Amino acid sequence: MTATATLSGRRPIARAARAACPPAGWIGMLLILAVFLPGTALAQTRGAMGTDPETVAQVRAWNAECLQCHVGDSLQEPGRSLFTVPKAAGASMRVSPGFSASNHGGMACKTCHTGGYLAYPHDMAGGRKAETLQCDECHAQEAFRVEAQVAKSVHSRNLKENFTCSTCHDPHLAASAKRLGSVEKLVAQDNGMCLNCHNSDERFAEFGGKVLPDKQRPDIDTIHAWLPNTQRHWEAARCIDCHTPPSTHRSLALSHEILDKDKAQRSCAACHTQNSALRTRLYRHVAEIETRELGFINAAIVRNTYVIGATRNAYLDALGFILVGGTLVVVVIHGLIRIVIARRRRTS
Amino acid sequence: MSERIFILPLWIRIWHWTNALLIITLTITGISLHFSNPDLMLVRFDLAARIHDIAGLALVALYLFFVVANIVTGNWWQYVPKPGEFLEKCRRQIRFYAYGIFRGEPHPYPPTTQANFNALQQIVYWIIMYLFMPLLLITGIMFLWPDLAPKRVFGFDGLTPVAVLHYLAGLVIVTFMIAHIYLGTTGLKVSSLFKMMITGWHEH
Repeated sequence: MTATATLSGRRPIARAARAACPPAGWIGMLLILAVFLPGTALAQTRGAMGTDPETVAQVRAWNAECLQCHVGDSLQEPGRSLFTVPKAAGASMRVSPGFSASNHGGMACKTCHTGGYLAYPHDMAGGRKAETLQCDECHAQEAFRVEAQVAKSVHSRNLKENFTCSTCHDPHLAASAKRLGSVEKLVAQDNGMCLNCHNSDERFAEFGGKVLPDKQRPDIDTIHAWLPNTQRHWEAARCIDCHTPPSTHRSLALSHEILDKDKAQRSCAACHTQNSALRTRLYRHVAEIETRELGFINAAIVRNTYVIGATRNAYLDALGFILVGGTLVVVVIHGLIRIVIARRRRTS
Repeated sequence: MSERIFILPLWIRIWHWTNALLIITLTITGISLHFSNPDLMLVRFDLAARIHDIAGLALVALYLFFVVANIVTGNWWQYVPKPGEFLEKCRRQIRFYAYGIFRGEPHPYPPTTQANFNALQQIVYWIIMYLFMPLLLITGIMFLWPDLAPKRVFGFDGLTPVAVLHYLAGLVIVTFMIAHIYLGTTGLKVSSLFKMMITGWHEH
């Protein structure tokens, strides 16, 4: 749901750290939720989704109420004309079909969309303003960890407060690598975040135009023309695999410091080598990265794609050393014997 | 006093040395790509990739020239193993390299204007030029335009078997090249056969 660029995450990430410590308002909100969300639902305010059948059924029932209107590409209201529904300026209110497969998929809509949203119609009845929780109110730890990285990111430096979590991460669609289940889908999802703006003049102007009105969107293919088989690279690796600082260990998440073209990785050998950077980046989620399969090093990578230099076959390499090395040894010995015999012949 | 006969026309000599230059270039850049290591680069990866692509395409063009020129001039017949004690001729040639050469015996089958190659050369050159070279070039072209490769093969990226075949074909040709260069020293003098490949005249 593209809506969320404005509905959620409206607060700039630079202010996330302040929100990381629960303010009085936050506690108050919990109390409100406690009133409106009975029993088990309270646990979901921090993203801990109940998985017991009762909770799942309850969440489905609640969400079904919301989805009566918020469905597909349009906003529908039973018994009323589509165009009579008041709509917040600039807010698209559709719920993507991908929501159920996303990280937030099992959650109740009203876990995040709270206050006035808890009743219908969503007016200010009872003084309850319809509001959406900010990302950092549940993801405080993550927000704290990435805040400094985001602040250094080319996006924050250029777009300032127009840049928020949900500018990139659509909370109704974003799914973890584990949930997506395949590297191919992870690449498509993560590159989609970047290309959403960087391959669209409209979106690029929507964000960049506010602070950099003269900035023209560079053509994404043109600026990457130096990269051989560009499309092939984009199917097999993510923009952020080159446009973030090096990560030293597989267990560390990728940095949120998005680098501009001058600082991005341009050394092919960073990935195209046995100790490939892909191991600590795109493939860091894959448990069997260290294992070999049919003699291939970086077995998890070779299962998805062939990366020259990174997915060599250890057995074939050994065969190569034996064949070439053996031939060299044979010709050197053969040559030496000829030299020795020729000298003896001359002296005798 | 040695005798000499003219056996190699200009086009074969130009083809041979161009081929040699391209194969050596492709070997060095190929090693740089396959065993790529940012701390120990023979040739920087992006440079190696570019050179390998250009040299590879040049080798494809040169190979096509080689095939066409062989057909037009009838030189292809030199590569065809001839019946009549073929295996025995190979055995004698191997015996010469393994034993006779150390005793100063003469080459068992020196080149003639009719037959440039001995039996061992015929079979080995035929296998290299008509089996491994096409395999190397076809897989190389698929590497250059990966959409030509199958999408998936046995659950792997379709480029994986292409890469393995390209590597194996390259390995055989590099091994052949080492042996070929060394056997080039087994003429009348160490330099005789290299001189022959430049002038076209064989001394024996």
